Amino acid sequence: MATLSRKCVPFTPLERDLSKSRVVLVTAAGVHRKDQTPFNIADDLGDLTFRVINGDAANSELMVTHHHYDHSDADQDINCVFPLELLRELQAEGFIGEVGKEHIGYMGYTMQLKKMYDETAPQMAEYVDKKCKADVVVLTGG
Amino acid sequence: MLGIPTVLVTVGPEASKQMRPPRAMYPKGFKIGNSLGKPGQRELQKKVLRDALLMLTEPARPGQVIEREYPEYDLA
Repeated sequence: MATLSRKCVPFTPLERDLSKSRVVLVTAAGVHRKDQTPFNIADDLGDLTFRVINGDAANSELMVTHHHYDHSDADQDINCVFPLELLRELQAEGFIGEVGKEHIGYMGYTMQLKKMYDETAPQMAEYVDKKCKADVVVLTGG
Repeated sequence: MLGIPTVLVTVGPEASKQMRPPRAMYPKGFKIGNSLGKPGQRELQKKVLRDALLMLTEPARPGQVIEREYPEYDLA
């Protein structure tokens, strides 16, 4: 991956219609599948790992593990932070081309910012690019 | 082409501005944990998501966080 100046805003234009685009969600809100290992909230340094979530996951299969924001609303309705179900509706309506087959959840809290910046973030970007083949990424926080 | 077009929905606009994201939207007044809306506000959540996606097709202001008003957020 090319190295960009940190002063630069890495803007990439959308070169196709939304109605023909594959959309992938990346959330820092600590979302993962219930059958996946939860994020490690016992470590004060945070958790640098990420989880891959299948695009057809039901809301009932998802949960939040994150101890740096109040996720009680997301516990009731995951669409508050991770609108995968709504993205599927936008696909059915033809507003977007396709919901990605895989999406990414991570816990957006870490005291290891350099590792997050130098390792986890590029790994997620690589996954989204090469595995998910995303045309568009929607990012959400907690 | 280098890169993937992204759009960020943030409820922490001050922190997000420091990262100068290529496209970012702040649904004004939404609290942390409610990036798309409150539980059960399905139409609002979908509207926010749709508006975020539409930012990819509109003239961009890279590095800025665009505030959007959603008065219905406070009605629930």
